[in-house]
Amino acid sequence: MLGLVQRIFSKGRPVHPALKENWRFFQSFDQTGPIDAYEFTVFDTELTGLDAGRDEIVSIGAVKIRALKIVPGENFHTYIRPRNIVPSKAATLVHRITMDTLVNAPYIEEVLPDFLRFCHGTFLVGHYIGLDMKFLNKALREHLGGKIKNPCIDTMKLAQVYREEQWGNYYDQFNYQISYNLEDLSQEYGLPAFEPHNALEDAYQTAYLFLYLVKKLRSGGLTTMKDLYMAGRSWRWIF
Amino acid sequence: MEYDRSNPHAVPPQVIVDFLKKIHPFNSLSDDALNELAKEITIDFFPRGTLIFKQDETEVEHLYLIQKGGVKLYLKDDEGVVTLKDYRGEGSYIGALPIIQNSRANLNVETVEDTFCFLLKKEKFLELLEQYPKFVQFFLKSFSQKLIRTAYQELRRHKMTPKSESSLYLFSVQVKDLIHREPQTIAHTESIQSAAQKMAEMHIGSLLVKDSGGEIVGIVTDKDLRTKVVARGLGYQEPVSKIMSSPVKKVSSMTLAFDALLTMMQTQVHHLAVEQGGRIIGVVTAHDIMVLQGSSPLYIFREIVSRQTIEDLYPISQKVPTIIRNLLEEGARSNNITRVITILNDLILEKLLTLLQDKMGQPPVRYCWLLMGSEGRKEQTFRTDQDNALIYEDTDDDNLRKEAEDYFSAFGKEAIEHLVKCGFPRCPGDIMASNPRWCKPYTTWKRYFEDWVMRPEPDEIRNATIFFDFRPGFGELLLGRNLRDHLAKIASKHTIFQYHLAKDCLEIRPPLTFFRNFIVEKDGEHKNRLDLKTRGIVPFVDFARLMSLRHGIKETNTLMRLQALEEGNHISRELYLEAKEAYEFLMQLRLIHQMRLIEEGKEPDNYINPGDLTDLEKKTLKEAFSVIGRLQALIKDLYPVAR
Repeated sequence: MLGLVQRIFSKGRPVHPALKENWRFFQSFDQTGPIDAYEFTVFDTELTGLDAGRDEIVSIGAVKIRALKIVPGENFHTYIRPRNIVPSKAATLVHRITMDTLVNAPYIEEVLPDFLRFCHGTFLVGHYIGLDMKFLNKALREHLGGKIKNPCIDTMKLAQVYREEQWGNYYDQFNYQISYNLEDLSQEYGLPAFEPHNALEDAYQTAYLFLYLVKKLRSGGLTTMKDLYMAGRSWRWIF
Repeated sequence: MEYDRSNPHAVPPQVIVDFLKKIHPFNSLSDDALNELAKEITIDFFPRGTLIFKQDETEVEHLYLIQKGGVKLYLKDDEGVVTLKDYRGEGSYIGALPIIQNSRANLNVETVEDTFCFLLKKEKFLELLEQYPKFVQFFLKSFSQKLIRTAYQELRRHKMTPKSESSLYLFSVQVKDLIHREPQTIAHTESIQSAAQKMAEMHIGSLLVKDSGGEIVGIVTDKDLRTKVVARGLGYQEPVSKIMSSPVKKVSSMTLAFDALLTMMQTQVHHLAVEQGGRIIGVVTAHDIMVLQGSSPLYIFREIVSRQTIEDLYPISQKVPTIIRNLLEEGARSNNITRVITILNDLILEKLLTLLQDKMGQPPVRYCWLLMGSEGRKEQTFRTDQDNALIYEDTDDDNLRKEAEDYFSAFGKEAIEHLVKCGFPRCPGDIMASNPRWCKPYTTWKRYFEDWVMRPEPDEIRNATIFFDFRPGFGELLLGRNLRDHLAKIASKHTIFQYHLAKDCLEIRPPLTFFRNFIVEKDGEHKNRLDLKTRGIVPFVDFARLMSLRHGIKETNTLMRLQALEEGNHISRELYLEAKEAYEFLMQLRLIHQMRLIEEGKEPDNYINPGDLTDLEKKTLKEAFSVIGRLQALIKDLYPVAR
């Protein structure tokens, strides 16, 4: 199985030791214990755009959750120097990142092993995490020879489940007026507010949202990871 | 936040550092210490209704700092009877006492909102207590204080940094600024009796004594008259030189009031001659300095009365904040304070208009100065805008009418100018006696009110509400009273007009949920602040006004209106008491907020930051706001289609 994955995705590139360690760890990872026994890495990326073929990650921010408490002292934040950035794109880029910051930042291949070590052995949590994973795995394949195997949890999906639970009827899930935007959800739930569009701040915001949802879902009745899966049965696992 | 290869986790958790910087006693730590501390903290979430501590059971392992949300603290005795002890909200702590006493939780702590807490390990907290005396002080102090606090005490303690403004005066004012008149002198050969007569005539307490060459050689004071003449039975025809104190103690005109006071204390004299360029320009007395320092309203009262020109009145209102501060420190309620301010302002107005009348000559017909808005309701706080008008007698004589128009037009304009200089800003809506529209004979005023009441236009009514709070301020008060009688009579009969006011009453939504969605201003200069006046105070004022007009009550003061409504059985005793308490608390909060701004050298305003309030204040404020809902419900009942 391992070999197959390698052959398909690595394009012959040697697999980085940190990634090998990642694969080894998750090969025998028990996902059924109590939620507060696991570690979570809540992360967010800033991108140059949404086109996975062309656009790139310019910043990663992440923070740990352990024993269902946010551990702000363990965080990860870096800017990343993009390769195909065109100046006009740079101007419109995003938000508060200046060209200067990016030019002085390391390339993604320098950052990835550190990030792998940071999130080693943890669940990955993100808001609309599919998008972040798409970019992350693309970079991983290109530079480290494969994808990572951490199981992922999407807070947006959790928020949808929570909303359905609160309203108790399924018609509302077809109400497209509702915003599942991170900022809007945080405001609606009365969470402390963070600066949007900064990877680390968004990671914090997502961490608060995650903690909120995990403890509010099923009126606080979720105790094991299995409960959490069941709550969001229709999740699409990244693997 | 640069990337550091060797340590990618180096970013200090800014969210925590920022939070700690805002709260006592953490804000006393250095940036480095805070950054280190922040790394130790974890963040936990407790949905509403979570029991964080169970009394006598929970081993407290962390100090909890509430980042967002709120908790209640309560005791449960053996019979299961629950006693609520306190509410704590954002920025407060739980768990400090059990950690310090090394005991289990002494209370039950339950979240009343979804609550996020910063958790600091017990050991780390004890370390801080050991390292920083400020921490010990803070936590020990807060324990003893929590036992005694009430909302009012809390207002006083938290919102007013002890500071004596009077001492600042003493250190900045020079004695030359304290002199009100030319020095009064008497020849040394004149009799004691003529000295006493002169002093009595001029209402002064001392005379300087000149020798034949015109040199000042001594001073006689009313104390000399008592102790040296009356007490010793000295003849009234004796020369003043026999009883004068000589030589006169002199100080330079540039001497600070504080130094002058010290000189007096050292030399045991109450009068100092003030010298400028070798000439005596006046006498300064202990009383003059006490007025400056002392903040008793009585002093100001006497001071206003003794002023002899309009210009002398200008600086007086600046002293009002000092007086108010002392009253607040002594525990006065907002109601006492607004009354003092009203009396002082009325007195300034009376003195000013009397002096102006002396200057311009007697008015051709009788008039009455009307006070509107908060002045009319006797609810002024600091530097309230002027809202006034002038009403004068009708006359059939065309010449006299023209004369009156000219006189009062000039009179109104000048009075307003002087009032501005006395520290009462112009009314932005130009509702002032200087505006020809609001300086009219009685019949015109009567028609104004009839128009508003009998043919109400919604927009006009909204702008006219302050007129309905008018009261006569000075002059022929009967003119104002007659107008009030007339208004009371017509207003109670015209329900359409009342409906318009009712609609206004219901327009302001009270902020209801508290720990979270406090209704604050969404943008602009006062973003995220609560407009205490519009959202808190105005609804009570509007309610009392409408109900009084409905029932023909002539009172203008909101508390008096409420009382009259209760006495007339128009509102229940319960609602009256609730409204009274709530309104007084809001006024108190506003006064103290404004007091603080004034002391910071800022313009007083009505915008408070809910985050600055203590939990008990928040709780009380929440109660106060809930009363607004009940008042509005009553109005909805009485005027069912108003909205």
